[in-house]
Amino acid sequence: MITGEQKPLAEIKAKVKGYKKILVLGCGTCVKTCFAGGEDEVATLASALRLSFKKDGQTIKVEEQTIERQCEDEFIKEAAAKIAGVEAVVSLACGAGVQMVASRFPGVPLLPGVNTTFIGILEKPGLFTEKCLGCGNCIVDVFGGICPISRCAKKLFNGPCGGSSNGKCEVNAETECAWQLIVDKAISSGQLEKLAEYVPPKDWSASNAGGPRKLVREDHVI
Amino acid sequence: MVVQTMDRPKVAEKIECNVVKPQITVFHCINALSNAALLDYDNCDIESVKLPCSSMSRELVFLKAFESGADAVVVLVCPENSCRYLQGSLRTAKRVNRVKKLLDEIGLDGRRINLYNIHNGDVRAAEKIIENTLTDLAFLGPNPAA
Repeated sequence: MITGEQKPLAEIKAKVKGYKKILVLGCGTCVKTCFAGGEDEVATLASALRLSFKKDGQTIKVEEQTIERQCEDEFIKEAAAKIAGVEAVVSLACGAGVQMVASRFPGVPLLPGVNTTFIGILEKPGLFTEKCLGCGNCIVDVFGGICPISRCAKKLFNGPCGGSSNGKCEVNAETECAWQLIVDKAISSGQLEKLAEYVPPKDWSASNAGGPRKLVREDHVI
Repeated sequence: MVVQTMDRPKVAEKIECNVVKPQITVFHCINALSNAALLDYDNCDIESVKLPCSSMSRELVFLKAFESGADAVVVLVCPENSCRYLQGSLRTAKRVNRVKKLLDEIGLDGRRINLYNIHNGDVRAAEKIIENTLTDLAFLGPNPAA
């Protein structure tokens, strides 16, 4: 999933200052799962904003709505009626959702309320960890299912670097060394000799380094 | 009983500064206190919210209490090792801590909400908590966003 973290209240409050009627628009998919932008977070942020402005002697009308996905027009149009009646929208979606809503409703200021962080997994309740950079050419099979691009600070294809200590990364002692994990996995599966094979440098043109990417499925294009 | 309260000497200095009839919303697990109506005070309004387990609460319901005019929110939960649903009291404590931080960010003061672990049916402990809350409110004053 795409993970994100809600911006501090003070930052969001500063963005909405001056507007009399706003909509806090949630997204019911990825950011809901990581507690940044689902129904609960929308309602909590709306309540906090109302209290904050009221404490300052100001009134602000805060509408609330959460749609299934802000990155799909089919779902965004469900919010059209509410967006038409407000001065600005605080989107609690990831960067993709924010931009989709902004392009769909160009006349309404779109204010991001979430910092998009990474593509990751729920490792245990309350802990999300990064697992993918979306590089465009997955070869985790070479590394026993462990991606060195997203999980090794040096993105080494031919590791380890020699800097790890007790299975932890020298860049961040709280991070597991991806290459320690790769070697451990290779040993446990009896495939250690495969790691002796040289892995050539990555062609980054398939990643975002080659500019914004486009995915076309001709069989679905009408 | 775990009682998180503000600095008493400071309260004592301010205790006569605010003459109001405070509103206190009490969220309570029915296994900690079966009926908050037992807490009857002439000098404050107490609104009680019964919960089958304190972990049924969310950050939002605490904020809504303040939006509805509460000057303080008291959350009565079972001792951590006595929760029938194992981690209910622990989960609620984490939510209350988050709301404390939010209230500080809002400017309402996080000390307006407090969580207390009380044993089943210990009305005397609950009464003491309300009395402490009233003392705290004498210092904090009314909810500025009410």
